[in-house]
Amino acid sequence: MNVFPLVYNIYLSFTNADLSSSAVQNIGTRNYALVFAEGRYADALTTTALFVVLSVAIELVLGYVLALALRGHIPGKPAVLTILLIPMMLCPVVLSLFWNLILNGHYGILNQLLGFCALPQPQWLTDDDLKLVSILLVDVWMWTPFMMLVSLAALNAIPKYIYEAAEIDRASRWMVFRTITLPMSAPLLGLAVLLRGTDALKQFDLVMAITGPNDTTTQTLSARIYQVVFRNYKVGLGSAYGVVILVAVIAVATISVRYIDSLNRRQGKAATS
Amino acid sequence: MNLIRAFVIVPYFFLATLPLAWLALTSFKTYNDTISVNAKFVPWSARVDSEESLKFEPTLDAYRNLSKPVAGTPKDFYHYLGNSVVIGLLSTLAAVSLGTLCAYGFSRFQLPGSKDWLFFILSTRFLPPLAVVVPVVVMYRWFSLENTHAGLILLYTSFNLSLAVWLMKGFVDEMPRAFEEAALVDGYTRVQAFVRVIVPQAATGMAVTAVFCLISSWNEFGFAMTLNNYEAKTVPVYFAGLQGNIDGVPWPQIASGMIIFVAPIVLFTILVRNHLLKGVTFGTIKQ
Repeated sequence: MNVFPLVYNIYLSFTNADLSSSAVQNIGTRNYALVFAEGRYADALTTTALFVVLSVAIELVLGYVLALALRGHIPGKPAVLTILLIPMMLCPVVLSLFWNLILNGHYGILNQLLGFCALPQPQWLTDDDLKLVSILLVDVWMWTPFMMLVSLAALNAIPKYIYEAAEIDRASRWMVFRTITLPMSAPLLGLAVLLRGTDALKQFDLVMAITGPNDTTTQTLSARIYQVVFRNYKVGLGSAYGVVILVAVIAVATISVRYIDSLNRRQGKAATS
Repeated sequence: MNLIRAFVIVPYFFLATLPLAWLALTSFKTYNDTISVNAKFVPWSARVDSEESLKFEPTLDAYRNLSKPVAGTPKDFYHYLGNSVVIGLLSTLAAVSLGTLCAYGFSRFQLPGSKDWLFFILSTRFLPPLAVVVPVVVMYRWFSLENTHAGLILLYTSFNLSLAVWLMKGFVDEMPRAFEEAALVDGYTRVQAFVRVIVPQAATGMAVTAVFCLISSWNEFGFAMTLNNYEAKTVPVYFAGLQGNIDGVPWPQIASGMIIFVAPIVLFTILVRNHLLKGVTFGTIKQ
């Protein structure tokens, strides 16, 4: 069930298969030539890369800062945490459809609030420069809790005695953060970045819900495949796109699982020593 | 220091919850109130005459209208909700049962290359639906699984299996071997020991795993969108199709439908709150 599609994908990518006709011909590497020669492909690749880097970076920083703020005792903390975590569990496409109402340039609540504060009211959903920003905004809203959750786990795993030792040595707050907190929480943050990164590479739902698959300024690789296969019926070309993405994802995924493996081994060692 | 912390947490808390609060408010509005240029914040028990007022008169019309099909769609919201429930529950059931068996095997027996298998299983989770959807579509045409409930159930089961195996392996690893070994000494077969000893002990873990599997098939969009245009359409695909509706996007119905659609997930999130970290990291982080 999981392996067959992969193999068949590679076969299809060398054919001119089409959803609207049944005649299939082997056309060699012509699809791949198209994929790499086509300007739209490079655009989709840049958009995806930009999206992955920006979303993961913003979510990581925001989530980590939140986790630092939420560290230690705070009245009502379990309830606050649970409420903050809710967005990441909800259906991305459904919630981002609703964000269309929030972001609407004329009657959206965001622009009305900005107007109330006498700030400019940009056209979030129709301005070409802002469409990707809108998608990023929704993604950040949805996935910052994930980074916060992992960051909290990372911070809680730092043993207290290290801080006590630092206090005895009269290390400054900044010093403690830079030499203890940050390096000791880094391994788990790395894991979070990899998990979110592979997820962001797949980005399809938000694009479909907010700008649609054909919009050139926000077309991610997944949206591009959707357009090629389900709007233009070019199965062979779509498969070639699929194979290219798969290679990228498998590379990132391999790094991730290696990383997870090494973390587990380290954790195992820490537990036995 | 506490002041700085409050300055970070309080604004974020309000910004993060505002969209959900707005969703809830919108579900009690009339169509004109949802797209008013004077945002309506305050539910008011009396009729509100002024256009500029921040108040609005809440109504349950949107919830009542859910049983009527929206212009341009053949069936009402509950039909699609039914599809989501059937597909979600059956694929979860299958993934958790298979996943528990696999996890038991991986946890208790020394299998050659078991680590590679486990990581292969995990890596299937990283695949983007759109990159593998083409062969799946072609394959489903051969077996006439396109536009069927069974097609999506099968697909979600196979994708949730990776999550189920990893989560359940974490739970089974934590269970002491002594009980099942005692059962084996007492003459139970492996199967009996599994059913009578392991399953009862793993019940919590299975429930948690089931919640995460259910949520991921409940929320899935890529496959549902590309494999189902008609018969087994799930709620996310139904909502996506309402965009650009000929009579204007029916925001009140969308909002009330979304509330009904996400309410169970919010409830489940609260129930499994202590296992969220495990669930979203495939159990790779041990606490």
